[in-house]
Amino acid sequence: MYPQSSQKRSWTFANEAQLHAFRVEQNTKYIEEHRSEAPSQDNLENYFLTPAEESLLLKQYEIYLVEFCRRFEPTMPKCVIGTAFHYFKRFYLNNTPMDYHPKEILATCVFVACKVEEFNVSINQFVNNIKGDRNKATDIVLSNELLLIGQLNYYLTIHNPFRPIEGFLIDIKTRSNMQNPERLRPQIDSFIDSTFFTDACLLHTPSQIGLAAVLHAASKEQENLDSYVTDLLFVSAREKLPGLIDAVRKIRMLVKNYQQPDREKVKAIEKKLDKCRNQNNNPDSELYKERLRRLYTDEDDLPAEDGSFHIADVSSDASAMNISQ
Amino acid sequence: MEEQACPRCKTTKYRNPSLKLMVNVCGHTLCESCVDMLFLKGSGACPECMVPLRRNNFRVQLFEDPMVEKEVDIRRRILRDYNKREEDFATLEEYNDYLEEIEDIVYNLCNNIEIIETNKRIEAYKRDNREVIQRNKTRVGRDECALEELLELERVQDESRKKELEELETEHKKKKARDKQALIEELMYSGKDAATIVSEFAEKAEKQREEEKQLPPPKPANEFSTGIKFGQTADPTLLPVPKSEEGPIFIYEPLIPITEGPTPPPLAEVESMGYVSHIRPETPQENAGGFTSALACQRALQEAMQCLFYTPTTGIGVGL
Repeated sequence: MYPQSSQKRSWTFANEAQLHAFRVEQNTKYIEEHRSEAPSQDNLENYFLTPAEESLLLKQYEIYLVEFCRRFEPTMPKCVIGTAFHYFKRFYLNNTPMDYHPKEILATCVFVACKVEEFNVSINQFVNNIKGDRNKATDIVLSNELLLIGQLNYYLTIHNPFRPIEGFLIDIKTRSNMQNPERLRPQIDSFIDSTFFTDACLLHTPSQIGLAAVLHAASKEQENLDSYVTDLLFVSAREKLPGLIDAVRKIRMLVKNYQQPDREKVKAIEKKLDKCRNQNNNPDSELYKERLRRLYTDEDDLPAEDGSFHIADVSSDASAMNISQ
Repeated sequence: MEEQACPRCKTTKYRNPSLKLMVNVCGHTLCESCVDMLFLKGSGACPECMVPLRRNNFRVQLFEDPMVEKEVDIRRRILRDYNKREEDFATLEEYNDYLEEIEDIVYNLCNNIEIIETNKRIEAYKRDNREVIQRNKTRVGRDECALEELLELERVQDESRKKELEELETEHKKKKARDKQALIEELMYSGKDAATIVSEFAEKAEKQREEEKQLPPPKPANEFSTGIKFGQTADPTLLPVPKSEEGPIFIYEPLIPITEGPTPPPLAEVESMGYVSHIRPETPQENAGGFTSALACQRALQEAMQCLFYTPTTGIGVGL
């Protein structure tokens, strides 16, 4: 269960500053490695992405992720979306978007989440939901799968807030005397959707997020559940109450402070990314194709190095997977 | 078997199905009558390959394919000398190498590849390992003896049992005849009442039947029928089963779940306090799998309560 889980042990952090530090670290590491590729050494920021730009980019791709999951055929259960979000966030704590394009990681996250949450889709069914070159998408997803799992350090079980919310609703219905708690549901759902765009899942436990959702919905409906919380939940541990109130408040602040990224800015960032991204991992680049070719052919079969043998480039446009509209 | 014809007198095989094919060291077959004819004339050479032969080299053919027969013969000859066992080798690899060498030799001899070379190898091996070969020969002898002894034991027991049964049968018959005779004589000459005489005899018959029930046990055999006593009785390969080390005894300790939050209700309370009424009942398929709505309800409540009190401290390294 959650108290003994790897999620609590290794993937929950104290505050946003820590998360920010991780991401900045990854960013600087990448820039250091690829310093030589920049056209001018003095204004690196114009060439490489800054951490702020990276976070903006990732926010946009999170929106794409939700859209992709909503349009998915067959209908995807909510827990798969939650798990995919967790994976996406965790992956980009340890890696920078310049190394691995968010588009590819997005699809891979959803695919692995489907498998883990036992929502079985075959790879063919999966790529049917992706616009663009299906074969290329298949290759990308399958080759990134192992990378993703490795970067998550093989901790694949995610505890989402959905079941705690159900638990709270049952408890409220049984023990408190609130009228028709079911009307809280739409508000709860939208709140949870917003939490996934923030870093709440990396900072707080799923039950706390669930409770925050319930309280938020209650306040929207002009109901007060504070008596439920203090009297029924915390009757035996009054001293822990301030901690919880703090956590709930933080979660609600996170959701309130979330802003949707500006489309124009994101487009500009994407252009920049195309130039500075790691070409080794870009499936459209020559470098990658060369690497794959070397990997899969024997030494004797390699074509002549002097370029007398030309391999036609099949991919016409750079973005093969059009997930964004 | 009827399809195979003797290469010499081809027709004779079909006429006489009981005629046996003999085979010799070069692997070629001849029917019995041809063998006789060959040695009548005094010459001793195989008609196909002109290899000089002796009369006693012919053996009754066991296999249809003469090549197989030849190989079996060669193998038997070789294995008489190459009789090392797995215990004689230090590592498994050495044993496997040895086996492979045997196969090489047999193959070479069978297909007439480098015969001289191979024979030299055999001679060299025989010289080098003379003692080991000797020892193994006697060891094989001992194993066979032990097997034979067991078989003899069984046979003797069977025989003695059969004999006893027969004796019992004849005894029984004789007794019956005598009793009948005695009864008739009594009836004829004695002055007693006929009925009493008959009942006396019936009682006696009953008593005798009781005694017959106890048979003497068969005498255990401890020597061959020829009188040679049994040699080794203890089989050296059977050792007492070693006593295995057992670890500490398992003591059940019930699982204490950790909830860093308010205590969720136990399963009994989930039903009694009415939590269950707020969720849908389980479908028949789910019930067959062992799930009840109470379990699902309890799980939801547990997850809601877990770690409500928990505040993350500075996290350990990402993903460790």
